[in-house]
Amino acid sequence: MAGRRIPLIAVLLSTAAALGLAGCDGDGVGLGLFSRRQAPPTALGSAQQRRDPALSGDGRLLASIVESNGRSMVLLQEQPSGRVLALRHLRGHLPHRSPALSWNGRYLAVLLQQGHQTMAAIEDRLTGQLLRLPPPPGARVEQLSLAPDGQTLALQLVQGGQQRVQLFDLSTLLEPDRAPGLRSSNALP
Amino acid sequence: MHCHETSAMRAPRLRPGLLLSALLPILVGGCMGAMPVPLNGLNRQLEQAGGHRNPALGERWLAVIEQRGGREQVQLIDLPQQRPVPLPGLNRADALPISVSVDARGERLALVRQLEGRSEVVLYRRSLQSLQPIAMGPGAIATAVGLRADGRQLAVQVSRDGLWQIDLVTLP
Repeated sequence: MAGRRIPLIAVLLSTAAALGLAGCDGDGVGLGLFSRRQAPPTALGSAQQRRDPALSGDGRLLASIVESNGRSMVLLQEQPSGRVLALRHLRGHLPHRSPALSWNGRYLAVLLQQGHQTMAAIEDRLTGQLLRLPPPPGARVEQLSLAPDGQTLALQLVQGGQQRVQLFDLSTLLEPDRAPGLRSSNALP
Repeated sequence: MHCHETSAMRAPRLRPGLLLSALLPILVGGCMGAMPVPLNGLNRQLEQAGGHRNPALGERWLAVIEQRGGREQVQLIDLPQQRPVPLPGLNRADALPISVSVDARGERLALVRQLEGRSEVVLYRRSLQSLQPIAMGPGAIATAVGLRADGRQLAVQVSRDGLWQIDLVTLP
């Protein structure tokens, strides 16, 4: 070993790996401090319009809106496999938009269409229940955000031509879905 | 979440939006039967501060794009304290914020903004007051971000050659 020279490129690569500077996985791209890859493909192929990404707090689940045949539908996938998880209530009431996930993915909130009205809905993947939250009369809901523990909901509303944000306490409706160690939810598929 | 009203919040002003918010629980229907409770103190404060869009919730934080005086800027609101916290170095007068997201602890914010005609994605660390650009590759136009609650991964909505895609960025 004494007389053996280590190639310069190997030294650079090992140094970078040790510093965590060049990590990329799968088809990922190293970005200096960051690594980037595309989200796992859907069963419908990679050349699909996908938008409104939302990750569960533990990173196990990715929700997004997929457009297929002119319809926008929420898709829930495991990471990194891309396996699609079934949703009990959220197959209809299209179009969907603005999904959000709680920490362990117990709750999936999304905007859906019910008749002529867009409203927020939250599917509890543990109990199978669906909570519907119509917007205030005269207001149109544009976007939502669910707190990681599922205890607060924020709605972006348009009313009288003005955009505003309103917050709602869900603690009387939903059990907390907290990070491991603080978890009060049962394990989910 | 427990939100206490400050003294400044105790003089309710009857505005149509707030009245509707107060009535919302009565008007809401759902499979679970119970009603969400509007956080009236915070809602009133947000309404008085001007327009807001693009809400993103952490455990006790709300990141939002505030529209005031013809300008838009990112705000991070401490929900229990009901007040915004400083974000030195994040907002720029010549940049237009497009989408913002925050982690559970309110430590990291991810932002898409338009600057000099280009969209850029940046990661802001509040404790360090540092701002790091995240390159999305040539030809990519980012329009939305979603930060994982633990702050370790970022989902970005990007357009490449007219196709909307989702990129996942691992954050150290």
